[in-house]
Amino acid sequence: MTNILVVADIKQGDLKGSTAELLSKARALGAATAAVAVGSNVADLAPQLAAAGSDTQYIADDPSLEIFSAAPFAAAVVEAAKAFSADMVWFGFSETGKAAAPRVAVQLEAACATEIIDVTMDGDDQHIVRPAIANKVLQKVKINVPKLVAVVRAGAFEADPEVTGTENVVTLDPPEKDMAAVVKELISDASGEIDLADADIVVSVGRGAKDQAGVDLVKDLADDLAAGFGSSRAMVDAGLMAHNKQVGQTGKIVAPSLYVAVGISGAIQHLAGMNGAKVILAVNKDPEAPIFNVADFGIVGDLFDVVPLLKEEIKKIRA
Amino acid sequence: MKILTTVKKVVDVELNIHVENGAIVEKGLQYVINAWDENAVEAAVQLKEANKAETTLVSLGSGDNTDIIRKCYAMGIDNAIHIDDPALAKADSPTFAKVLQKVYEAGDYDLVIAGKQAQDTDAGQAGIMLGEFLGIPCVSNVIEIKVTDDTHIQVSRLGDAGTEIVDVTLPAVITVSDSINEPRLPAMRGIMMAKKKKITVMDLAGLGTSVEEIGGTAPTSGIVEFMPTQKRKGGQKFEGDPAEITAQVVQLLVNEAKVL
Repeated sequence: MTNILVVADIKQGDLKGSTAELLSKARALGAATAAVAVGSNVADLAPQLAAAGSDTQYIADDPSLEIFSAAPFAAAVVEAAKAFSADMVWFGFSETGKAAAPRVAVQLEAACATEIIDVTMDGDDQHIVRPAIANKVLQKVKINVPKLVAVVRAGAFEADPEVTGTENVVTLDPPEKDMAAVVKELISDASGEIDLADADIVVSVGRGAKDQAGVDLVKDLADDLAAGFGSSRAMVDAGLMAHNKQVGQTGKIVAPSLYVAVGISGAIQHLAGMNGAKVILAVNKDPEAPIFNVADFGIVGDLFDVVPLLKEEIKKIRA
Repeated sequence: MKILTTVKKVVDVELNIHVENGAIVEKGLQYVINAWDENAVEAAVQLKEANKAETTLVSLGSGDNTDIIRKCYAMGIDNAIHIDDPALAKADSPTFAKVLQKVYEAGDYDLVIAGKQAQDTDAGQAGIMLGEFLGIPCVSNVIEIKVTDDTHIQVSRLGDAGTEIVDVTLPAVITVSDSINEPRLPAMRGIMMAKKKKITVMDLAGLGTSVEEIGGTAPTSGIVEFMPTQKRKGGQKFEGDPAEITAQVVQLLVNEAKVL
């Protein structure tokens, strides 16, 4: 049997949806499952991790793990992987996963694959599928060693509501602090806003919004829809949107039910970050904008006219 | 301070990529410097300008990388090494990291600056693995670097919960986000000077290693085939009276797509 360890994706103390998605997939593959939670005040998450589909919960809970630091985080995951004799370690798509996975792979002498969208196991043959070249191709990759550490792309797997596990908590010793890379401070972007990675609807703003007033207009639409609020690279460069709002190849990868691209032309790097959306609505005044080549619904028009109208129509249907 | 930056020559992602019989069609492809490596080069040159650093660039590949190296020279890089070996044509991330380890050990570097990922693989592993192999700290996805003193830097990293401020003891590896800077366009004087500069080219043997030693003969994983991505198709595009088409589209989102 294959043992799959899923690293709990925790943000501001809450378990993110990706953890249940990964555990459901692991169980669908017939694997034995465990989860590992690393952080401060994370011990309380054990019942949730069991309910999400893990049969063992490794907990590394220590005040020193309050702010993410890659080396101790990876050390705790490695300890759990060894205790569980994990054949695979899966991370949800996050900066935490991207920073920790290569370290864990080196320490476990495992192969490492990021942004995977599928895993297949056929006897001893293991393959993964992942997009590459800004999502323009898919690679099928054969894993040549017994162990694999993977970061799973957002939206790749679905959580099965029928899946559940059993509670069996194993407490890990807190890992040593990294004295050579000391995290001094976290400038939090916790603002009560909806997390892009988890949002069912994402509204993103692009260069077409021009200035702060334009951004505010689109933000209002996002708020009306209870949507995550994202951005194109151009708006981040212009200082109108924060770095952590950037959707794209190097920013956030999102896979919501509905992605609303407002005033975004649709550069390849941006498309690579939102290609997994179920439905895309684009608003752009340029009928030739590349975004219309991928949008399921396109409105050709000035966003300053269209966004207020969208707000009005949505108000009507929500009434 | 001695800085090593890494660059990779990658396929230009702006062009169309076609897949046939499990392979990428080579015809019509163009190769450019990896965009994030350009950010790494710019970061190194900025540190040199502010702190009197010596900057060395290493490019890995199989084939001629003269064009991208000249560009980095023109941006202000002092020295360049190109590791040219056919064994690197299909190397995976740990193999690249092992080669970088050899380059690092042959010099006396304080800081390695790499792009956070290569735009052809989007793997984002080599820089972090290099830090791991060397047993020195690595901070990834960095958006700012400040020099504290000869042996310390402070970096800002974009993490899941916000911006992490990290005090790093050198030597260390940093991988940079494209948000860190806007790479300069080289001036004509720099371009002319770059043409005269020497590029040190060597193969794996010249570096004092072998395909076996860097894991090239037993890679942990290998691509068996490429497949085309399922292309999204453009759907319905509406033009005309804004109020009318907006109402129409919202109805479709509710009744047809069922996402509102």
